[in-house]
Amino acid sequence: MTAKLTLAMPSKGRLLEAAEACFAQVGLAVIRDGFERGYQGRIAALPDVEVTFLSAIEIAQALKDGSVALGVTGEDLLREAVPDGSAAIEVVLRLGFGHADVVVAVPQCWLDVATMADLDEIAVAFHARHGRRLKIATKYPALTRRWFAEKGVTGYRIVESAGATEGAPAAGTAEAIVDITTTGSTLRANRLKVLDDGVILRSEAVLAAGSEHLGHPVVAMLKERIEAVGIRQ
Amino acid sequence: MAAFAGQGFETIVPDILQPADIFLDRSGENIRSRTYVFTDPSGAELCLRPDLTVPTCRFHLSHQADPRREARYCYCGPAFRFQPGGADRLHPSEFDQAGVEWFGASDAELAEAEVLAMTVAAVEAAGLRRYTVRLGDLGLFEALLQSLAMPERWRRRLSHQFWRPKQFHALLDQLAGVATRSRTSISGLIDTLAQAGGAADAVGLVEQQLAAEGLALVGGRNSREIAARLVEKALDRSERPLAQADAQRIETYLGLSGSPTDTAKALDRLAPDLGSPMVEAVRRFHRRNALMGAAGLPLDEATFAGVFGRQLEYYTGFVFQIEAADPNGRALAIAGGGRYDRLLSDIGSPYPVPAVGCAIHTERLAAACRAMTR
Repeated sequence: MTAKLTLAMPSKGRLLEAAEACFAQVGLAVIRDGFERGYQGRIAALPDVEVTFLSAIEIAQALKDGSVALGVTGEDLLREAVPDGSAAIEVVLRLGFGHADVVVAVPQCWLDVATMADLDEIAVAFHARHGRRLKIATKYPALTRRWFAEKGVTGYRIVESAGATEGAPAAGTAEAIVDITTTGSTLRANRLKVLDDGVILRSEAVLAAGSEHLGHPVVAMLKERIEAVGIRQ
Repeated sequence: MAAFAGQGFETIVPDILQPADIFLDRSGENIRSRTYVFTDPSGAELCLRPDLTVPTCRFHLSHQADPRREARYCYCGPAFRFQPGGADRLHPSEFDQAGVEWFGASDAELAEAEVLAMTVAAVEAAGLRRYTVRLGDLGLFEALLQSLAMPERWRRRLSHQFWRPKQFHALLDQLAGVATRSRTSISGLIDTLAQAGGAADAVGLVEQQLAAEGLALVGGRNSREIAARLVEKALDRSERPLAQADAQRIETYLGLSGSPTDTAKALDRLAPDLGSPMVEAVRRFHRRNALMGAAGLPLDEATFAGVFGRQLEYYTGFVFQIEAADPNGRALAIAGGGRYDRLLSDIGSPYPVPAVGCAIHTERLAAACRAMTR
C-alpha cells in the first residue's frame, strides 16, 4: 500500500475557482470537509489523498519545507520560494490558467530607458547624483536578484513591498518595480512601462510536487488525466 | 596580529553592528543577499558587518578631524556572511577576519608592496607553506582606456562593465562596430534627435513629449538628465567606431597572464605607442615590482592577470589574493587586499583619501595550515 499524500489547493480567489474547475473536469472534484470555510478536504476518487487549503504563497513554502507533497500554485511564487536549479521541487504540469507575467517596469517618463542595460547605466548616474542606490519595489526579491544578476545589473536596492507595488514610483518609495501583470492595464494606469527585455517569467498555475513524491502513482494519474482533457481557458 | 602591530599599525576594535545603508548603498543588492540585515526596535536598518574594511573607514572618519591625515590600523574580529549554499568549515557564516588598512600613504607603490609583504609574512608566520599569490591592477586598465582615442562616455561604460565579462565583450563589439546596435522601443525618439543633429533642443523635445503624453516626472530624474542620455545615444549613431587595433589592445591586456616580471615586459610592448596615462601606469608597475622584490617577495612565483580583480568591485588599483588548495584541490582565497581610493569619499569623507589594505580569513588560514601538517 502507498502512503497518504497531501495536496495543497489555493484557499481563495480566482486561482481556487480555476483549480477546482480543472479537477472537477477530470472527474476529481474536491469536496470540502465541514462548511464552506473548512480548510481540509478530500477527493472521492483518490482515497490516498488529503486536501488542504492554503494561500498560494504558503503552498510554495509548504512544498519547499516538505509539509505538503503536492500543490497547485503560481509558478511565480514557486520560483520565488525555491532557488533556481533546485531539484527539490518539480513542476509536474502547467495548468493553463492563472497566467501572469513577472516584469521589470520603470516610469513612462524615463524616455531614455528601454532595456535592462539602460537601467544599469542610469543606476550608476543615480548613485552619483543622489548618493544612494536606485530602489526597486517588489514582492519578488529572489526572482529580482537572479534576473538582475543575469543581466549584469548590480547598482540597485530592493525595497520589499507588501502591496500596491505599482504605486511605489509615484509615491517616491522606489524608482522602479518588479511585479506581476496580466493585461498591463494597472501598469499603464500608474504610468509605468515594461522594459523591452524586462519579462522575467511568463507564469501560470502549476501542479508541483516534492521530488521524492514524483514516483507516487497518484502524481502520474493526475498528470495523465489533466493532460488528456487538455485544459485551456 | 603581532605581525601587523609590530609594523606600527594601531590596533582598533570597530563596531560589529553597522548601519545597513552604508553597505547596501555602496555595494548594491548583491552584497545584501550575503549580509545579515535586520531592523532594530526603533525601525533603523542595521547589519552585522560582512567585513571590517568599511567599519575601519568609518572608525577613521569619526576619529580623525582631517581624514587625509596618514593613519595605519590593524584589527582582528568577527565578520558575518550568510552562506546561500549552506555554511561549512571553509565557508562559515561567522568568522574572524584579521587585517590592516593604511590611509593617506604618500608613496602609493611603497604602501602596496609593504601591505602585500606584511600579508605574506603573516600567513607564513601562521605556518602556511604552499600557496599562490595572484595579482591584478585595475589602475592599469583605467590608464589603458585613457590612452585610447574614444569619447569619455565610452570609457565610463567600458570601465563600468569591467566587472561583468559577458556585458563587457558585448559592449566592446558594439563600440568597435563589430556588432550592430539592436532597435529598441526608444529608437524612434533617438532617430528624431540624430536627424536634427547638433541643432536639436533635446530638453525641449523631452518636455514636449512628456506634456503630450501627460506624464509627470517621477523616479528621481529630471528632463535634463533624460535628454542628456538621449543625446549621447544619438551621438553614438554618428561616432567613429573604436579602432580595431585599440579593441585588440584591450583584449590583449585582459588576456595577460604571467609572472609580474614577464607582465612588465609584455606591458612595455603594449605601451610605447600609447598616451602618457599608460606610460605612467607602466612606470609605476615597474617600480612596484622592484619594491616588492626588495621586500623579499618571490616575484616569479606570483601570477599577474589582466582580468584579475573582477570579483572585487570597490578596488581601484593594485589587487592581490593569496590562495591555497582546499581538500578537493580547488583554490580557496585565504587573504586578499589592494587599493581602494574611492571608498572613503563614497562613505562621507569630504576629500579623496588614498587607501590600501588587506584582510585574512583566519578560519581558512588555520584550516589550510592544518591540512598541510596532516
